[in-house]
This record gives sequence, structure tokens and C-alpha cells, in this order.
Amino acid sequence: MAAACGRAVLRGARSGRWFSSSACRMSSDGEPTKFQPPPKPVIIDKQRQREERRFLSPEFIPPRGRTDPLKFYMERKDMIQRRKVFNIPEFYVGSILAVTTADPYADGKTNRFVGICIQRGGRGLGATFVLRNVIEDQGVEICYELYSPRIQEITVLKLEKRLDDNLMYLRDALPEYSTFDMNMKPVSHLDHEEIPVNKLQVRMKPKPWSKRWERPKYNIKGIKFELPEEKMKEAQKWQKPWLEFDMLREYDTSKIEEKIWREVSEELKK
Amino acid sequence: MAGWGLLARLGARLRAAAVAPGRPLRAVTAASGHSWQLGFAARPVHDATWWHEHLSEENEQFLRKAAAEEYRAQTASKLCPLKDEPWPLNEWKPDSVRVGVVAVKLGMMPIWTKSGKKHAVTLLKVQDCHVLKYISKEDSDGKTAKLLVGGKNVSPFSKSEAEMEIFREAGVPRKQKVTSFNVTDDAIIKPGTPLYAAHFRPGQIVDVTAKTIGKGFQGVMKRWGFKGQPASHGQTKTHRRPGAISTNKVARVFPGKKMPGKMGNIYRTSFALKVWRINTKHDIIYVHGSVPGHTNCLVKVRDTKLSIYKDCNKNPPFPTFFADGDEKLPEDLYDPDMFQFTDPSVTYA
Repeated sequence: MAAACGRAVLRGARSGRWFSSSACRMSSDGEPTKFQPPPKPVIIDKQRQREERRFLSPEFIPPRGRTDPLKFYMERKDMIQRRKVFNIPEFYVGSILAVTTADPYADGKTNRFVGICIQRGGRGLGATFVLRNVIEDQGVEICYELYSPRIQEITVLKLEKRLDDNLMYLRDALPEYSTFDMNMKPVSHLDHEEIPVNKLQVRMKPKPWSKRWERPKYNIKGIKFELPEEKMKEAQKWQKPWLEFDMLREYDTSKIEEKIWREVSEELKK
Repeated sequence: MAGWGLLARLGARLRAAAVAPGRPLRAVTAASGHSWQLGFAARPVHDATWWHEHLSEENEQFLRKAAAEEYRAQTASKLCPLKDEPWPLNEWKPDSVRVGVVAVKLGMMPIWTKSGKKHAVTLLKVQDCHVLKYISKEDSDGKTAKLLVGGKNVSPFSKSEAEMEIFREAGVPRKQKVTSFNVTDDAIIKPGTPLYAAHFRPGQIVDVTAKTIGKGFQGVMKRWGFKGQPASHGQTKTHRRPGAISTNKVARVFPGKKMPGKMGNIYRTSFALKVWRINTKHDIIYVHGSVPGHTNCLVKVRDTKLSIYKDCNKNPPFPTFFADGDEKLPEDLYDPDMFQFTDPSVTYA
């Protein structure tokens, strides 16, 4: 009896639940109950989780059109070749990057810039990303080409996503939201974790803005609009609710992405 | 007087239509009361049909398969031109003009030079390019020999037998585009020889001719770049019009006056484009800058006519590059100035 209780206690301690109920059952029924195996332990396999989280850089996805797929294949070959020689890390709009480029007119011939990525544009070899920072009260944006040979290093200082795909509204936001320290230390990010989404709602400078960000066509979720109700209601006049049902605009990239991801990851492993 | 001219032109058109087979014109008398209108208006008769309208399903499937097999056999038989009694191969001389090639415009891409500068290139794929016919100097117009070259296989069924004759004699499938190249006598090639992208080498300068994108009927501002009129300040219904078309004293409009009309869809050439890279596996030529025509259109590529670039086009593969010859080329040929992605990043030391 004591031995049985002892076994139950041990089992309970491992799983975090007391198995005294089984011991009680044994004693009250008087019949031996079936052996309850302990619950299987959950092992977080970090390797597999890293593989399961597939990331395909958006510039690999070909745009919709009548171009021959051979052209995209040739471009992809060049892109993969460049990635084998030079590491282009995974990053999203809203991550903070540090980029060093070769500059013939600078001291030490290199130029380092730290900023938040506000936009990723272009497809294929001409893919670009725009970094924004405020240096000595002056907003500076630099548009870099991902595959340019002049780029010598790209480091992700903070990997995170934001609520929007395009952070151009930071130009009209208060400068504190675009200021980042040039000597910022990289924030560590574990491989198997999900990319954190920064749900920051940005406060804007007084109007006029460069674009009417309150209008539904920009579909911005990351601004804390402090505009009066009538202005927000008036902005809704430009809403086009039929757009989401427009079948001609649908472009389902899931299958294309799968195929390209497999191709790219196989090539990069070689 | 104007009426006579119109009559003569209509008569000529009817006669020409009667000669050309396949679409007989029926003259229908217009029963209208206007005295200035002529007696007839010609309307084409729609009795042409698609090639398999009167065939059974089985016959249509059989014909398709037979055509595909024939294409494959023809392409295979022409793969070894050097073993097939080629015409005598001569040495390249500075005066020789060699054949060009017909290619498909795939699209555009950026490239970088070793100094870090970015340029845009157009990808041209040489798809199923064969020499079709040799027209000697006397037969053409007495000055140079001509070589007819065709590119990109298409279906043989919608062309008449007379037009398919050239392809049958050369032993190649029907081509979508057939162009002629003026060629010196030492550069003539046997009909049926395939032409490849390796006919050109990186560093050469080429001209590319193609039909520009058709814009349809366009006004004078888009077509000729006129300034138009202001949008406001009292303009009555006049914002994109040509304005005055001639002066008072001349009392007529000069022939060739720029006016609205059909724009585009005409042959234009881009001269002096540098070849940056050749891919021999997929037969793609990377040519500097832009090229007229839409994506997937057929273009004609040849060595530059401009004499300033004579030095860049020295010692090309003459009369053409033979794939079954002794030369085994690597998959990619690059211009020495071009940054290859196998190299590390550019530094300015």
C-alpha cells in the first residue's frame, strides 16, 4: 500500500498532477485498477520547428503577368548564387537593420547606416528595401538594393513585424518613432520562436500629412488617429468595399511559394 | 478627278485580291442615292475556316501528334550541321558581314559592373532559330546575297501549302518570324543549319530590330509630343488638339504633316547595344538597355552597322557557331567588366 502510494507520488511529481486519485480508487473499489501510463512528455524539437517555419523572401515570388517563367528562373539562379556568397538575413518591414556599403568617397571606404525598414519593394534582382532613421533631427531614408554588390554586410539588430506592410506614415509621425541609436546592440532572437509583432500605435504630427493616411485605401492599423469623429467618418466615404470580392485581383501565391521555397532551400543547402 | 483616282485604286485592290488565293472579294452594289459615292463597296466573304473544322476528332488528334513527331524528327536531323556536308567555311575578314539571329524578348533585369555601377539588360532567348533559304546576289538585287532566317516553331496548319514550301525544303518546322539578312558571299550558310546564342560573344555590339508596342489610334500629344493647350483660363473644348496645321500663304497642308493616327506596331531598331552575357544552356543573350517590342515578341539581332564599333566585333564565330564542333563552351560567358555573383562583394580599396 505504502509502496503503491509512493509510486503514485513519483508519477504525480513528474507530470505535475497528483495521482492520489488512482491510489484512492484502489483503496475504495478494492479491485486493482488498470495501469494508467504517464502522459507522453512534449519535446520541443527546435530543429524541426525551425524547418516548419518557412520563410521565403518576398522578392522571389514572381509578379502576375505573361512573362516566360524561364526569365524568373534565370533571375532566381543569380539571386541564389548571390545568397550563397553573401548572407541576406530574414527580415520584415518594421525590423531594425544595420547595413554597411562600399563607398569610394567615405573614410575607410565603407558606410554604415542603421534604420527601421519601412518598405520592401521590387521583385527579382532589383529588389529594394528602404531604411529610415532620424539623425541629428533630420529624417534620413536610404533605399538599398538587396542584391547590389556594393553592400558588404546586412545585420538584423531587432527582428520584428509591425501591424502594416508599409511604414511610410512614419514620415508624418513624431520623430521619436523613427529614431534609433546608430550603435544599437543586436537584440537576440531564438530560431524557433515566432516573429514578434509589435502592436505599437504611432502618434502623428498635426495635419497636413504627405498622404491622407486615415483613408481606407492605405488600410493602416498602426496609427493612433487623434482626429475628430467627423473626419474619420468622412474618410470612410472613399471606401471601396467591393475590392475584396474582385476575383480578377486575386493572386493566390501559396502553391508558387511552396515550389519556389523548396527549390531555393535545396539550392542553398548545396 | 478625285473620283477617278478612287475608282482606279478600288479596281487595283479587287485585282490584287483576285490574284491572292483564299479570300475572294465580292463586289456588292451599294444602293445609295449619293452621287459622290462610287458604284460598289467590297466586302470580304467569310468562307475561310479553321484547319480542323471538317476533320473528325480522331483525325485532328492524329494530325497534331504526327506534326509534333515530324517536328522532333526534323529538329533531331538538323542537330549536326557540320557532319551534314556544310557549305565551305571561310575565315573572317574585316569586311565580312555575317548572319544575325531571331530571338524572343523575355524581359529585363539589372546587372552590376565590377565598379559597382548598375545597368539594365534585356534577355533575348534564341528559340529554334534556323537558316531557311539562301538567295544569291543575282537573285536578290545584285548587291549582296541574302539569307532567310526563321525563329520560334509554330503550328503548320494555318498556312497554305505554297507558303510552307520554304520550310519543307529546308527541312525545319514552320517558324513564326522569317527575316532576311544581307550577307557577304563568304558568310553564306546551308539552309537548315540551326543558329544558337553563342553566335554572339560577350563584348560584341549588336543592333536589335522589332515591331514596337502598338498603341492604336492616338492623338497628336501622345503620338508626336505636341504641347496641347492649357487646361483652364477660358479654353473652349480645346485641350489636346493640334492647333494650326499650316499657314495662310501656303494655302495647303504639307504632305507628312504630323496628325493623329495609328501609333506603334512598326519596325524600329535599337543601335549599338553591348552584349553582356551569353547563356549557352538556355541560349539567352543579355543585351544592354532596352529593345523595342513587348515581352515575348520576336526580334531580329545582328552585328552593328555602325563603323565606330568595328573593333568590338573582331573575330566572331564565322560563319556561325556550330554546336557539334570542336569548341566546348562553358554554360555562362560573361563580359570581363560584368560583376559575376560568384565573386565577393565590391570594395573600393
